[in-house]
Amino acid sequence: MIQTKDLSIIYENKRIDFPDIDVNQGNHFLILGRSGSGKTSFLNLIGGLSSPSGGQVKINNENIALLSSNKLDKFRGINIGFIFQTPHFIKSLNINDNLMLSQYFLGNRDQNHIDTLLEKVGLLNRKKDSLHELSEGEKQRVSIVRALINKPKIILADEPTSALDDYSCEIVIELLKNLSEENNSVLIIVTHDKRLKDKFKQFIDLDAF
Amino acid sequence: MLFKLAWKNIIKRPFSSGLSVLLLASSIMIILLAFLTMQQLENKFNENANKIDLVVGAKGSRLQLVLCNVFHVDNPTGNIKMKDVTFLSKHPFVKSSIPISLGDNYKSYRIVGTDKNFLKKLYITPFKQGKLFEKPYEVVLGFNAANKMGLKLGDSFYGSHGIDASLHEHQDAKYFVVGLLDYSGEVVDNLILTSLESVWQVHFEDHQKGSFDLSYEKKHDHHHHHQKTNVVEEDKEITALLVNYKSPRAKFSIPGIVNNKKQLMAAEPAIEIQRLLDLVQPAVKVIAVLAWFIFGLAFFSMLITLVNSMKSRKYEIAMMRASGASSKLVLISILTEGFLVALVGAFLGLILGHVIMEIMGLYLTNHYHYQFSGFIFNFFELWLLFGTLATGIISAFIPAISAYNMDISSTLKKKI
Repeated sequence: MIQTKDLSIIYENKRIDFPDIDVNQGNHFLILGRSGSGKTSFLNLIGGLSSPSGGQVKINNENIALLSSNKLDKFRGINIGFIFQTPHFIKSLNINDNLMLSQYFLGNRDQNHIDTLLEKVGLLNRKKDSLHELSEGEKQRVSIVRALINKPKIILADEPTSALDDYSCEIVIELLKNLSEENNSVLIIVTHDKRLKDKFKQFIDLDAF
Repeated sequence: MLFKLAWKNIIKRPFSSGLSVLLLASSIMIILLAFLTMQQLENKFNENANKIDLVVGAKGSRLQLVLCNVFHVDNPTGNIKMKDVTFLSKHPFVKSSIPISLGDNYKSYRIVGTDKNFLKKLYITPFKQGKLFEKPYEVVLGFNAANKMGLKLGDSFYGSHGIDASLHEHQDAKYFVVGLLDYSGEVVDNLILTSLESVWQVHFEDHQKGSFDLSYEKKHDHHHHHQKTNVVEEDKEITALLVNYKSPRAKFSIPGIVNNKKQLMAAEPAIEIQRLLDLVQPAVKVIAVLAWFIFGLAFFSMLITLVNSMKSRKYEIAMMRASGASSKLVLISILTEGFLVALVGAFLGLILGHVIMEIMGLYLTNHYHYQFSGFIFNFFELWLLFGTLATGIISAFIPAISAYNMDISSTLKKKI
């Protein structure tokens, strides 16, 4: 499903190399690394948010470097859901409208799906709320819903739990695992959060690479 | 959805959006007000001015002569003897010559002494009720005059001395309403028409005493018996003669002939009105410059508002991109914000412009006895609307382009 080969970037005149990974459909994969190890850059390369100085990323056997920027936007929207350490939403829209907007970008419209997912993360009764009324843990749950809203084959999560306390961390990570399993998506998480290490069978430590 | 997003983003920052809308609306309102006032003034003036080729009256200001006798807004320049202008009515180049004599008013509506041709040839106006004046002291009321004063057929009233409202009534000059005119949209709507004889009889004795002074009120005993007085032919006076030519050649000869007589002056309404409009024009230009200046401020206000808003929204824009929104869609969504602000501003400005024009129109109508309306629409407004919408979109271009070219990856990497 996702293969990377000889990926590298030049960051502040230093070349950073990344290990090759190969993740199959439905699998979960954890990338550990301390701050500055380039793990966010690695994730952005995999998701096509930035382009490498060397190497390639293949998703479904398609080399994403060969897509035009317009096609890549579309490809990313269809195939990949992102979750970031700090969840960003459109501040002027409420929860439901934010989710509808994400569907709209891909020409979808499915209120039932929004409701089902919100129900699963326990926030259905708050869908008309504005985002700033939510706690960090709750916001992260909404961003899980958003990542899954267009049923992507891949979920990429960048430090999804490092801003959360143990209790929220537990909830968020369980939701992430369960929901991506239900959707049969690949889940790749990059983090320095050691709390997650025991919860994944497949992982790679960038510091050890 | 795109409109909803843009709209929600606009009302998320009510003060800066409100300021942009307000500036935009003000400038459009001022432009529209200046335009509507000028347009109506020009139309009214030209319409009325073009009806009459030449006004002949006493020496003085030509503009005043025209304003007083064609538009009924200024004071008379004085009186002329009827016998001095009889040559004009007989002149082969002259199609019609209609005398008018001013002197009295009722509640600031002018009582105009004239002959039957005034309504039959010059201001052809259908009667709503009644008939033309025949005997002295019979009057026909213009549409607005009758409505404002609440007079009906068969009513009577005392005229006041002078052409503006005053307390000095002619106790024995009692007028009877014999006709009511329909609405015509011309000066005649605001006039009270009567025969020349009425005016002569009212003022004859005043005149004898030398107290006939329009701008100055004298207290004097008022026990004349006008109805019984016969005006001597020699003393018959009028304020002006309204002349229409038979052939365009008259234009080159008649004014000259009239002006050569020492007691007469000729003024061409079309020329005088053009002169007046030329005088007013620069003032309107100053207002227009002011309006465009505010329009410019509105443009920068929209621009700065959006640029600032982009700074605080760059993460959500990066997020939109990451969720599959193409850079084109992001561009369009920001242009839509500029468009919507301009749309609201433009409509508010146009509505305000018309409403304020209507309110000002009521005041102007009361003051000048001219009909001004706010509910006149012009093609020009469409241009104003499209121009404003285009400006809104252009002001959004700079912030939109910066969002279009945003590097999502590096924006998202910056942790906050």
